[in-house]
Amino acid sequence: MNPEPFLQLDRVIHEKGRLAIMSMLAASPELSFTELRDALEMTDGNLTSHMRTLQESGYVSVAKSYENNRPLTTCSLTTAGKKAFTSYINLLEQVVQQNRPK
Amino acid sequence: MLTLYCKVYPMETNWASEHLQIIRTLMERSAVYRRALAPIMIFCGVVGIAGGGAGWILRVESPRAFVLFWAGAAAFAFAGSFLLVRRQALKDSEPFWSPPTRRIAQAMLPALFVGCGAGALLGLPQGSSEIPVWWLPSIWMGLYGCAIHAAGFFMPRGMKVFGWGYILLGGAIFWCFTFLREAPSMIRAHLLMGGAFGGLHLAYGIYLYFTEKRRNES
Repeated sequence: MNPEPFLQLDRVIHEKGRLAIMSMLAASPELSFTELRDALEMTDGNLTSHMRTLQESGYVSVAKSYENNRPLTTCSLTTAGKKAFTSYINLLEQVVQQNRPK
Repeated sequence: MLTLYCKVYPMETNWASEHLQIIRTLMERSAVYRRALAPIMIFCGVVGIAGGGAGWILRVESPRAFVLFWAGAAAFAFAGSFLLVRRQALKDSEPFWSPPTRRIAQAMLPALFVGCGAGALLGLPQGSSEIPVWWLPSIWMGLYGCAIHAAGFFMPRGMKVFGWGYILLGGAIFWCFTFLREAPSMIRAHLLMGGAFGGLHLAYGIYLYFTEKRRNES
């Protein structure tokens, strides 16, 4: 058994809340802040805190705009974020594959 | 140390499988349309029933008038639905033309386009009057069911069943009228349209009103 894949898991994505955010954003070109908050049942503060961490790591980009005179915050994965998420999934699959009975 | 690692490692792989499953669920949830459907269904139901009643009272009988009348009712129902969706999006500070909304529109478009084409055969001035107009409601129902079923892949589970309801109803009506020697009066077609499009939407809308998670109102 090789412990290498497990040790390589990205610690930024590995946290439960941030993994949920990354998963949601990976399946959609962009999501609004409120859509993410409601879907993940997070508080505004919790989501903002996780988004800040992901932004600082360069995995998520946040755009602020106005739609019908109302502020609209949309979030999306950056290229680095997509790459990191794909690597994370691949590593998880490697962990699972290693223990699969042959 | 190695013995301890050998015990802990399988637990970690179970955890990895669970994580992958959670990721898959979240990715699926991200692609699902989340607007409240009850108001849209109830609105479409009321328009359908009102349309059926109006067609029956006004005695809209000619094939062309029948097509134009119901094309107008459908346009009104779609316009109203779009306004309801837009209002919900504005209320939640979310984009109206979101990726799930786009997917729904793209999924519904082919079947609705064919339905428009079938209507145009009878509705346009140079359209054919040879085709039995009584087939139209069943064809519309079947195609509308296909559109709803296709959209159901990006919507809550019940929507596909709702689509199948229209497909089966359309098929049954088509089958029944194929074996009729004489087509009934077109006035009755309005009652059929009102009952099928209005009644089913209204019933499903009321069901959703009591069961749908009121996410947008929280």
